[in-house]
Amino acid sequence: MARRLPSPGGEITVAPTVNGSTGSWRAYALVAPALAVIAAFFVLPLILSAVLAFRSKGGDFTFEHFAKAWDLYQTDLMFTVGIVALSTFLIGVVAVAIAGYLTLGENPRAVAILRWLYRWPLFIPFIVTGQIMRTFLAKNGMLNHALIGSGLIEPLAAQSLLDWRGIVVAFVWKQAPFVTLLLAGAMASLEPQQIEAARNLGARRWRVLLDVILPQVRGTLLVGLVLSFVTMLSVLSVPMMINPNSPTMITVDVAYRISTLSDYAVANALCLMSLAVAAAGAWFYLQHAKRQTLQS
Amino acid sequence: MQFRNLFAIGTLAAALAVPAGVAAQTTLNVVTAGDQNMVDYVNNYLAPRFEKMNPGVKVRAVGTGPGDAGSQKIYEKLSAQQKANVAAWDTDVAVVHQRGAGTMVKESLLLPYRNDVAAGKLVSRDTAKNALGANVDGYVLPMFHSQIAFAYNPDLVKAPPKSFAELAEWVKKNPKQFGYNGVKGGMSGVGFVTAWVSANSGMADKLEKGPYSVADRAAIDKSLAGLKDFNQHVVMTPGNAGTLDMLNRGEIAMGPVWVDMFYTWQADGKMSPKIKLALPAPGLPGQPMYYVIPAKAANAALAKKFVDFAASPEVQAEGIVKQFNWYPGIDPQFVQAKLTSAEWNKLFVDITPADLAKNGRPFPLSDYFTDIVEGYER
Amino acid sequence: MSALRSRWPQTLGMAIVLGLVAFVIFGPLANLFLWAFAEKWYFPNRIPQEFGFSFWGRVFSPRGNALASLGTSIWIALLTVALSLAVAIPAGYALARLKLRWRGLILLAFLLPQAVPNLPVYVNIARVFYEIGLNGTILGVVLVHASHGLVLAVWIASAAFASVDPSLEEAARNMGASPWTCFRTVTLPLAAPGLIASAIFVFLESLDEFTGTYFVGVPDVTTLPLLMFNASMGGNYQIASITALLLLVPSIAFMLVVERFLKADVLAGVGR
Repeated sequence: MARRLPSPGGEITVAPTVNGSTGSWRAYALVAPALAVIAAFFVLPLILSAVLAFRSKGGDFTFEHFAKAWDLYQTDLMFTVGIVALSTFLIGVVAVAIAGYLTLGENPRAVAILRWLYRWPLFIPFIVTGQIMRTFLAKNGMLNHALIGSGLIEPLAAQSLLDWRGIVVAFVWKQAPFVTLLLAGAMASLEPQQIEAARNLGARRWRVLLDVILPQVRGTLLVGLVLSFVTMLSVLSVPMMINPNSPTMITVDVAYRISTLSDYAVANALCLMSLAVAAAGAWFYLQHAKRQTLQS
Repeated sequence: MQFRNLFAIGTLAAALAVPAGVAAQTTLNVVTAGDQNMVDYVNNYLAPRFEKMNPGVKVRAVGTGPGDAGSQKIYEKLSAQQKANVAAWDTDVAVVHQRGAGTMVKESLLLPYRNDVAAGKLVSRDTAKNALGANVDGYVLPMFHSQIAFAYNPDLVKAPPKSFAELAEWVKKNPKQFGYNGVKGGMSGVGFVTAWVSANSGMADKLEKGPYSVADRAAIDKSLAGLKDFNQHVVMTPGNAGTLDMLNRGEIAMGPVWVDMFYTWQADGKMSPKIKLALPAPGLPGQPMYYVIPAKAANAALAKKFVDFAASPEVQAEGIVKQFNWYPGIDPQFVQAKLTSAEWNKLFVDITPADLAKNGRPFPLSDYFTDIVEGYER
Repeated sequence: MSALRSRWPQTLGMAIVLGLVAFVIFGPLANLFLWAFAEKWYFPNRIPQEFGFSFWGRVFSPRGNALASLGTSIWIALLTVALSLAVAIPAGYALARLKLRWRGLILLAFLLPQAVPNLPVYVNIARVFYEIGLNGTILGVVLVHASHGLVLAVWIASAAFASVDPSLEEAARNMGASPWTCFRTVTLPLAAPGLIASAIFVFLESLDEFTGTYFVGVPDVTTLPLLMFNASMGGNYQIASITALLLLVPSIAFMLVVERFLKADVLAGVGR
């Protein structure tokens, strides 16, 4: 029955155009101003930096900086991809659960409370998230005090979460509300009759969420997740303030190469590697979006 | 829809492209790396006094963040102005670390000004001429000197280790009680690592004075292998502030910290007044923060006047020593003369002047420095 | 709705779950509030042993300029939202509805500023801005913030336009509406929730940004997050917490205002 729905919810698709192919030049004109901003104020400086990654001390073209970056930081690159991928997955699960309850919840008071609750981390910048998580998740931090105080764990069992787990917690805490806000908006704009019909047929709520609602808001969910993925990839303050161990995230290595060693070449090589990861993530999404369109 | 209004606001934005801060009076821009308390010091202590002496001048202080990253940001902004051929640069006075100062001198971003100011004659430390092997003579004036030392909780550490060998013994007996921040989290960790190599390679003097030889890498790597073993028994902390943070919550009993940051944490109520400092042999590195003037500072004459004022014995005594408990940047004898002996001795409660003279060391030369930190990473 | 008697265990379960969510959200935030008022807090005390306002006094000291910086921050954020939406709405519409050859690449281009660790790029951003005389201006800072915010604005706007049912637009066109009228009265109101959400995100992105502001704005343009960054990186928890709390006020106010505006608008525009 999902087939008969009017439109996919929020997918960026190559939708059938209203004006046919004649709209093409107009399309470029509409995109041009936004692209101009990016090109002049980011892509140009990015290219000016990126060339350093390919220039040897003598000024020749070289891959030595990439070789050095790979040699020193390949573990960190894997670590970064792992952390960000895991965080993205968890963010997706949390966002679907919260947005789903906001849409299907039957207790209006609980829905209202949850709607009020979940947004707060949106307003906390990453750097402050890093700072408060550091004091919250530490061995003698508030989380362990609360767990010990409520008798859930023994004082000796208290351990510090300030490692990769801390980064994941901070990322999910900060980014899940972002995806939830987008997702709840998309769910709210669905046709209510659909959901009611499924409910009247006796489907359980989580079934309705997974089988009826989610397929229709999948596009929005993916947009939110891709945006979170790339954002987390470039956050410096959270890993810097939370994770003291090696391996660490690529952004920390970039900052370290620059501020401790003034080594822009390896730093830029690392940035381009990180960019490749981001592009891969985004590409995955775009391919997926295209496939969706072809199927429908 | 109100979206049309947004376009109106957009055009209005274009009208705002005129630089802000156009005023009848002269604005002296002081940009400082380091912690927020250094910005506050310029803003709340130096600025009002300097403005009173120079009517029509307004001092504006901006911070760029702690550690070498803060100095790097100042360097990058000056370098950008140099590459863009800007005639009058927007920074008049900058406060930077050694590494940043060395790079800036090398790239002709600074004005040689020290001989033009009276306070320039009061400096005596070697670091006023040499910054990690870079010749900065004439370009810099130290604002204050800082030192890395071990901060420890005397309730848990009855007798702090007097040497690195004693420290290695101590961490084996007290696992996970010593914490430091590796090499990626700031200079207190980097300094601990270079000090470890100095102490365990037997090359302390050579690392500081040279001449550099690639062949020494083997000895460096060997002592770093010992450090890997040492690391099994310690806690890694997230950054310079991270070490202090873990001391604050009682999660470690000892760790290397910057002395100036340590006193700030105590003054801000974030560190128990019981925590003490110790400086083991053969020493830990220290470094000054420098006042520098960019090569094309818009108000160079005024900038010189400002630095001369800030480095004068009176201000060093009142501001640097009395207010912050920091080691003075100019020769101590000129500063000590302006203070009572009680005020002066507060500087040396935990670390005696003799310890400081013997065990307060510079960082290794920059080639050795690079070899050490890169060796650590491998 | 099930019968009343079977509801209490469910309500209890609900209360427990909500309590846990509240702990997860507010536990870390409690640190923020405690540090903002802590005069003394160190081991072995689990909460500050002394509360007070002396750090508030420091933030609001006459030479500290905190309020002026906050004002600048808000003004810059509003302009950034205006600029971003002004260019993102047409771009998002074109990306969702019209035929574009390099669609994938264009979408990726907007992602760039968000995807690359920016540290090594800023020195060149500063250089470009010095060359064209935009350094030290509000407009310069707005442009840097907008280039970061655009990915949110363009991607979300595009998703929002794509989710508008094309048959509604066709119906309007069949009744003789011009393309512009059709866009204004049908498409735009239907996409409004997504656009509003993107406005909130762009506002927050700009309000909390500090590195770009430093390279392009300082020393002529200073914003509150610069202070927050300094304090937080140096471990000055009190000052960092206070500035973060100050930044909460415009963030929440902006969200409440646009949501109010959104509700009225959607109802009026769609006529449901």
